[in-house]
Amino acid sequence: MAATTRREFLKVAGAAATVGAVGFPAVARGQAKPGVPSDPVKIGVLAIRAGIAAPVGQAGLRGTEWWVERVNKAGGILGRPVQLVVEEESTPKDTVERYRKLILQDKVEVVIGGISTGVTLALGPVAEEMEVPWLSWDGTTQKGVEETMPNPKWAFRSVDNEVEAIVAGQLTPKYFKGIKTVAGIGNDYSYGHDCWETYQAVLKRYIPDVKFVLELFPKLGVTDFTSHIAAIQQAKPDLLMCSFWSGDATIIMKQAAAVGLFKGMKGVFTTAGGVHDSLKKEFTPEGLLLGYNTMYFDDPKGSPLLKQFVREYKAKYNEYPAYECDHAYFDIESYRVAVEKAYATTKKWPSKAEVVKALEGIEVDSLSGKRSWRADHVQMCNFYQGVTTHKNGYDFVTIDPIEVVSTKTAMKPAGAKLIEWINGWKI
Amino acid sequence: MGGVFHAAILFLVAAGLQLVFGVQKIFNLACGSCYALGAYTGISAVAFFTGHGGSPALFVIPLALGGLAAGLVGLVVERGLLRFVYDRDETFQLLLTFALVLMLEDLIRLTWGTAPATTGGLYLAYGQVRLLGAAVPVYNLIVIAASLAIALGMGFMLTRTAFGRIIRAAADNREMAEALGVDMRSVYARVFTLGTMLGTLGGALVIPATAAMSEMGIELIVEAFAVVVIGGLGSMRGAFLGALVVGVLRSMAISVYPELEMLLIYLIVIAVLLWRPRGLFGAPAA
Amino acid sequence: MRTAVVLGGVGAAVLLLPLVAPPYYAILMLPFMAYGVVLLGFNLLFGYTGLVSFGHALFIGVGAYTGAVLTTRLGVRHMELILPAAALAAAVVAAPVGALCVRYVKIYFGMLTLAFGMVFYTFLLKFYRLTGGDEGMRMLRPSLLGSEWTSFNKTAYLVGPYYYFSLAVLVLATVVMWRIVGSPFGLCLRTIRDNPLKAESLGVSVPRYRWSAFMISAVYAAVGGALLAPPTGNVDPTLAYWTHSGNVVFMVLLGGFASFFGPLVGAFAFIFLQDTVMSVVPYWRLIFGAVLAFIVIFAPGGLMGLFASRRAPVEAGRG
Repeated sequence: MAATTRREFLKVAGAAATVGAVGFPAVARGQAKPGVPSDPVKIGVLAIRAGIAAPVGQAGLRGTEWWVERVNKAGGILGRPVQLVVEEESTPKDTVERYRKLILQDKVEVVIGGISTGVTLALGPVAEEMEVPWLSWDGTTQKGVEETMPNPKWAFRSVDNEVEAIVAGQLTPKYFKGIKTVAGIGNDYSYGHDCWETYQAVLKRYIPDVKFVLELFPKLGVTDFTSHIAAIQQAKPDLLMCSFWSGDATIIMKQAAAVGLFKGMKGVFTTAGGVHDSLKKEFTPEGLLLGYNTMYFDDPKGSPLLKQFVREYKAKYNEYPAYECDHAYFDIESYRVAVEKAYATTKKWPSKAEVVKALEGIEVDSLSGKRSWRADHVQMCNFYQGVTTHKNGYDFVTIDPIEVVSTKTAMKPAGAKLIEWINGWKI
Repeated sequence: MGGVFHAAILFLVAAGLQLVFGVQKIFNLACGSCYALGAYTGISAVAFFTGHGGSPALFVIPLALGGLAAGLVGLVVERGLLRFVYDRDETFQLLLTFALVLMLEDLIRLTWGTAPATTGGLYLAYGQVRLLGAAVPVYNLIVIAASLAIALGMGFMLTRTAFGRIIRAAADNREMAEALGVDMRSVYARVFTLGTMLGTLGGALVIPATAAMSEMGIELIVEAFAVVVIGGLGSMRGAFLGALVVGVLRSMAISVYPELEMLLIYLIVIAVLLWRPRGLFGAPAA
Repeated sequence: MRTAVVLGGVGAAVLLLPLVAPPYYAILMLPFMAYGVVLLGFNLLFGYTGLVSFGHALFIGVGAYTGAVLTTRLGVRHMELILPAAALAAAVVAAPVGALCVRYVKIYFGMLTLAFGMVFYTFLLKFYRLTGGDEGMRMLRPSLLGSEWTSFNKTAYLVGPYYYFSLAVLVLATVVMWRIVGSPFGLCLRTIRDNPLKAESLGVSVPRYRWSAFMISAVYAAVGGALLAPPTGNVDPTLAYWTHSGNVVFMVLLGGFASFFGPLVGAFAFIFLQDTVMSVVPYWRLIFGAVLAFIVIFAPGGLMGLFASRRAPVEAGRG
């Protein structure tokens, strides 16, 4: 399914025969609860459609669409059908313009989405100015947020993205012994830089005399890492930490395998789980530490919801879902639950401010299990990382053993400063 | 060594650029888009081949053929669009190629979607060898060898064949060549198609090592531009040496001082344009 | 007389737009006005002096980043200071760059400007600590005429005070450019464009005049760039990328480079066409590429060229 125009997309979201050019789902009108308007509730979505990170944006969009189909089949939110209005997330400047369009032109009730840190940092202040709730999928590194969104009222930020670097840093000494020298490679923007800084800070707490011998930051979108790999080989570290999270993770894995990079060193891929099913066994060795962010598709302890989602996703797209689906599902599901919670007290469709109040502290069942919004508008969830293995029935790697770490321990508490907090741990 | 692989690909694209510029005096901005088109076509060709039971070990053949076939789009472009502006100011010709860049980028998206496409693990199908103490994928060596062969083939064609002589004559003095009875329309069509094919082939050959994205041409064109400026506009030897310079320097820059990377290349381009505008091998600047 | 009526009508429409149209369209006018300034300057170089710069996005970037740096790093919020600062920054960069570039013509000029543009882009991209790298920098809401307009939320600010401020800048820029173009200096530029040798023989220093045109166009581009940033509040390196320069050339061609008002028409057409196309179909580049191809092949005079061909020849040769 490749919805090319928004109109086409709305038809799909309706998941049924449409009425006219505007897609109305197969929910009979007039079933809205008392105090609730009968026209559809418009939800704006910002998703990456093109470029190296397109697979991740696509995962988020697919997760959202799956949710919409289910919810609309069950009658919508309080009987109101859901209508998605999708815009592309690209550069910060252009995405801000589209965000504004969603609110001013399309008059959406809430905007959901945003993956890349550069974009979400630009959107934060705009969300506050436009006074419409914005639930971010991903992409808010906490250092930047301190400057741009210190006390958000309308913006709901993703989990601190350095958490995966923190978890990876804690697991590294557990699984890899005798590490003395480390090299790092990440994308050249705040996420890549902040992850590296965080990983270094965490590792130093466990291995005080570790030496960081090389750091490389190719731009997001580069497809040729052969020179970078050569530089890494020259530096001869014991371990390479890589925070790539989209198609470039697959590329670097392939190019590394072509020269046997990981035959001589350990590898930590904090976030490559975002493209996990493209990490084929042919070029992805066993024994790497691999992070799947908040959702691991093959979790043996996974809920029936997760299992059903994975099954239907595979049947529809012939791919296995990645963590962005979970962020997307959580965001839009929490919106629904918040609306219903606010309705329960006011018996009217809640205003945007009432939705915001209801969202704070709310906990819902997401694909990966229970997730919640902290009072300071930050997501709380679990993180999954593990050691790659070829012992499975797929043509790509999975992880065994699976480490599950909660943000309760791996994310800095509200109001704390990241590096100070790390340095204050009791080891 | 990675630098040489990149240089081999750059050479193919730059050679296509040089051929077109030398004869038609048009700087084809769309050569980067041809690169992208060749990449996607190559992937489709390989997928078709392996999907119908072709042995993965032979994937290089459908890849290269797919790349070359994509080059035929050059004929369509030349006959359908470019020939209307041959008598115009070169600014307009340049802008038409820019229009092509825009159109091709979206056409690629329309046809193949927006997610990056790859040939999976086929890159490693031929294994590696140890060269000068480093492991080098055999595929890289195949591409470098192919590129060298094409370079030699181009050289041979230009100096020894009738077509090559016509190309050089047309490049030197179009009016004279026409006066001597050369059918410029046919020459232009063939030259442009050949130039496009070199670009699409380059795109197809690079793909196993990386991934195809619809914007891959936009980035490459600036590198190709650097190659032809350094090598000298219109010169095949210039394309060869220019590609080596750019490919290897970029590779070295990343190892030494990563911030520099392309910055170094652009500074060299400016330096060349200021002090020796004709580059290494180009004709003296007008 | 007819021009006056048309201008008057257009002027009235623009003045009244924020009051009658939905805020979204008023906000859409803002990049039009910013690009209008940029293109007026660009066309001095292109239409009047005959030099195609493929790196003009450099100066747009300089202007935009000047605004960002001033508001976020140096605490300067007055737009009345930011615009001259952007102009000054552009002049400082354009002086040496222009001096080097104008010694060359045609394709070499285009290539040099493209290379300089990409040098700046790479600088903005790679020096992450200084410039914010790929994700760019924020630009905070500037104060206009001394007031922060805090009682206005962002939308009301953009549709109100900022709209009229930008409009005033555009009008001022247009008037100044009209004077430049009509002056002896402008006449010299046209002579240099049409016949450089003759110009030299008449005692006109060709490189000197080209350099001046280059400087003016750079200053205009930076002022436009500084105007471009506040609505989104964000500047990023793609502002300086070569395809952005390409779009600038496209806009001028779309409107018509042979007419004084062509660039403004082109900016307007481009912005609104892009918005319309993008909401219907995601493949706007395909349509735009086709439009550009059409213009290049069939209507090189652009939109103004299409109008002019229907008017008396006397009028068509203006500007």
